[in-house]
Amino acid sequence: MKKLTMLLILAVVTGGLLFGAGAREEVQTVEFWYHLDDPEQNLDELIDLFEAENPDIRIDAVHVPWGSFHDDLITAVAAGNPPDAAQVKLWWQPQLVEMNALQPLDGYLADWDGYDDVLDDLWELTMHSDGNQYYLPLQMVILYMYYRVDVFDELGLEIPETKEAFLDVARTITEEKENMYGFGIRGARGGHDYWGSFVLSSGAEFFDDQGNVVLDSPEAVEANQWYIDLYHEHQVSPPTTPADGFVEVIDNMLTGRTAMTIHHIGSAQQMHNQFGEDISAFPVPAGTVDRWTSFGDEQTAILARDQATQDAAWKWISFLATAEYNQMWNDISGQVSINKSNEDVDYGDINRFLEATLDSTPFAQILPPHPRIAEFVESTWPAEMQRAFQGEITSEQMMRNLANHFRD
Amino acid sequence: MGYEERNSIKRLFTLHLPVLVITLFAIGPYIWSFITSISPPGGMRVQAGEAIRYFPESPTIFNYVRLFDRINFLQNLVDSMVVATFAMLFGLSLSLTASFSFSRFRFPGRKYFMLQFLVINMFPVVLLLIPLFWIMGRMGITDTYLALVLAYATFTIPFSTWMMTSFFNAIPKSLDEQAQIDGCNRFQAMIRIVIPIAMPGIVATGIYIFITAWNEFVFASVLTGRSVQTIPVALQRMVGQHEIAWELLTAGSVVSALPVIILFFFIQKRLISGMTAGAIKS
Amino acid sequence: MKSRSQAVLPVLKGKKESRLIERGGSENADMSNQHYKRKRDLYPYSLLSPALIGATLIILVPMLFALGLSFMNYVLYRPQDHAFVALQNYRRALGDEIFWLSVRNTFIWVIGVIALQVLLGFITALFLNRRFWWRGIARSLILIPWVTPSVITALMWRFMLDGNTGVINDLLVRLGFLNEYVPWLARSSSALPSVMIALMWQGFPFFSVMILAGLQAIPQELYEVAEVDGAKVHQKFYRITLPLVMPILLTAVLLRTIWVANSLDIIFIMTGGGPGYSTYTLPLYSYIRAYSGLDFGYASTLAVYLTIILVMLIAAYVIRVMRTEDLH
Repeated sequence: MKKLTMLLILAVVTGGLLFGAGAREEVQTVEFWYHLDDPEQNLDELIDLFEAENPDIRIDAVHVPWGSFHDDLITAVAAGNPPDAAQVKLWWQPQLVEMNALQPLDGYLADWDGYDDVLDDLWELTMHSDGNQYYLPLQMVILYMYYRVDVFDELGLEIPETKEAFLDVARTITEEKENMYGFGIRGARGGHDYWGSFVLSSGAEFFDDQGNVVLDSPEAVEANQWYIDLYHEHQVSPPTTPADGFVEVIDNMLTGRTAMTIHHIGSAQQMHNQFGEDISAFPVPAGTVDRWTSFGDEQTAILARDQATQDAAWKWISFLATAEYNQMWNDISGQVSINKSNEDVDYGDINRFLEATLDSTPFAQILPPHPRIAEFVESTWPAEMQRAFQGEITSEQMMRNLANHFRD
Repeated sequence: MGYEERNSIKRLFTLHLPVLVITLFAIGPYIWSFITSISPPGGMRVQAGEAIRYFPESPTIFNYVRLFDRINFLQNLVDSMVVATFAMLFGLSLSLTASFSFSRFRFPGRKYFMLQFLVINMFPVVLLLIPLFWIMGRMGITDTYLALVLAYATFTIPFSTWMMTSFFNAIPKSLDEQAQIDGCNRFQAMIRIVIPIAMPGIVATGIYIFITAWNEFVFASVLTGRSVQTIPVALQRMVGQHEIAWELLTAGSVVSALPVIILFFFIQKRLISGMTAGAIKS
Repeated sequence: MKSRSQAVLPVLKGKKESRLIERGGSENADMSNQHYKRKRDLYPYSLLSPALIGATLIILVPMLFALGLSFMNYVLYRPQDHAFVALQNYRRALGDEIFWLSVRNTFIWVIGVIALQVLLGFITALFLNRRFWWRGIARSLILIPWVTPSVITALMWRFMLDGNTGVINDLLVRLGFLNEYVPWLARSSSALPSVMIALMWQGFPFFSVMILAGLQAIPQELYEVAEVDGAKVHQKFYRITLPLVMPILLTAVLLRTIWVANSLDIIFIMTGGGPGYSTYTLPLYSYIRAYSGLDFGYASTLAVYLTIILVMLIAAYVIRVMRTEDLH
């Protein structure tokens, strides 16, 4: 009996020593927040591959719901307990940088041999206005125009190159086809991408060279009036437009209620499944000055405070930005890789949408990096746009209100 | 027409039909969720000009299989059940004593405390998140059951206390006085007399705390989310940036309501037993 | 003069005795009165303290923190500008067009939703208090709206109300109430009422359960006596049911008013405050300022204004309760 007890104690002590020794080797844990649209997907496979390469790092990946991602991140940062690394959007960058939440990556990037394999445009787009690189590209999301090939063929329509030609096409479809509108406008949150393609391409600018707000310039008001008229005057978009978010816009397209809408490759498979070869894409038409389409981005960033965790976090996010693993990530998320060496990856059925994405890259742009841009996107723009669509305010009032958002 | 027959027709129109209408209103969206949940992805979608579909062409339980097989929804159910049960027990025990005190005693500061309980309920919780997250972080309990139990139990205190004070007030004080004359002390009087009589009110309040904890999203998302993941967080994950997993989401909502409904079916009898039991004792 | 609510508070049998106790009058009552009125009795405080400590630590401390922010310039992304500015945020709100729109909507929202919920909840409770064979099932089923997580409720209603594919439009057209589909959530005039219907749906079971519990405290004998006296159904309702349930109903309304005023998840998911600002309520506006503008100073100010409005809304009730208690 005594022997047994002794043996047990010995076992516990030895076990403790071994365990302690194991712990002393310092496994660095990296807490990483991400979001994916498909709840059935996860990062297990990527994490297994990474941890096999880096046995001293453990990835604690947290799938945060998209709906509360920004709020949770801000709360965690403000309460002094942020994740070590996170998936981030460009329009959060100005706020996060000002809050001192982000770690500049320039030091790491200088020594990173994957740098040259990332598309050059993406470095330009994601660099912050202070000249530092805080964000590491993760996905390439570029918006283009979906259109119904069969409807175009039936009515003998050409792909419009300018916004005036686009309006003609949209009006023709709305008039000729029963139960179908030419263009599905997204009037609720997120619709600034659509608005930008027609208004920011036609002389409207946020700031002039001196940094003054010029969003209410006469050119901008006129371009905005043109956009309001799509719904208000020409009614080429369904009556539900002011309330339509992405779900409604995509649904209207999938159910044949609209013949054109703007979105990215994330919807391509769904569209193809519904319409087969009857759906295709073209880059958004040019405005009166140039072309503008939205770069709907995803990046990663490091928020950890201490050097050791930062180093480990860098290994993880740079792992996600290397060609092989970035393609894996984008297979999961349904988007396009950021790497040059993945440009020839075959997307099978939906290759034509990859082409539209790449054709749109030269004029893909982002909204100006201003700390108030997040609120502009989430509340000011949708509210003012909806008022204008309903005729409650004029184009001039709308643009003045939008400009004042940056002035106060 | 006999009396019996006329009576049953009258009951049909003054009781059964109205209750049926109300019940249909209550469960209409739930039924719609259920129908969506047994359709294949996109199965309820109809082309413009076609009539809306009220039942999928090929019903399937595939979404429920996905829910339990691939998303581990069972664990979410367990987490929600644990959090809601303990929040209810903890919250009830905190507010039972408090409301007994408010209802049966007059002491200096009483009104102030009652008002305080009311006013702290008036502030939007989203503005309390950052300090709360900080406090919980300091206590080292973020991402544990305890964080949510504590949050739900305390955030429902104002409601539970006020509600139960009302229920206690409706019970004649003479009853517990009589018990004290018969030799109970004040605590025993509460346990043996007041609580049994107030049982419908206590059950109703318990249901309130339970359901609040079962449904709450904001705290659950901020204070937990990794090792503890309640149903609302799991469901919210199905609402993506560019896509809603609609069939899965509705399957999840159908499943998540069931435990509470079944539980309530057995508990609802308690909603009537209190007063009669009390009346017999007195 | 006794106020009405006090007269109904102690139920019948105990009425006589408890009045005596309240006044501390008769010899008979004095004995038991000692238990309730002993000076420096710590017992009630000890019963209260667990709830008080919990509420203070978890709610009051964060709330005082937020209250403090309302007097500060506190934009999260401008840490260098954080400063005490006294009432500047409060003055700023008074000149803010969106603030006033939100205040107006908050009133419509709270009063409308509570009225709808109480009405439907009361009717439901009266029915479910009667005996019939499927009562247990009906009682359980009406709970469904309440146990459905808000995100589902909001999305479900949003899709049912959709102007292109919504089932509600389809039903209303089939039943002949409408000639064509209405984009309920896309029009400023119909968006707020639509969201209110959704919240009525979510909240009425709460009132049913609470009122149902309250109905149990009414002694059956009262109805029997009334029947012997030949009282009609509505007379029984107005003379017995309503007055006796009133204290519990009022408390439920009071607490639910606060809850409804603060609820923003359904509005946020269904309309995001739109179209325009037509469904902005104060907590929604406060939330948007806090989490997209990161202006926690101004957001806290808006929340304080909400608290002030709520205090005004319920002041009448609280004063009455407190005055009744003074008589004790």
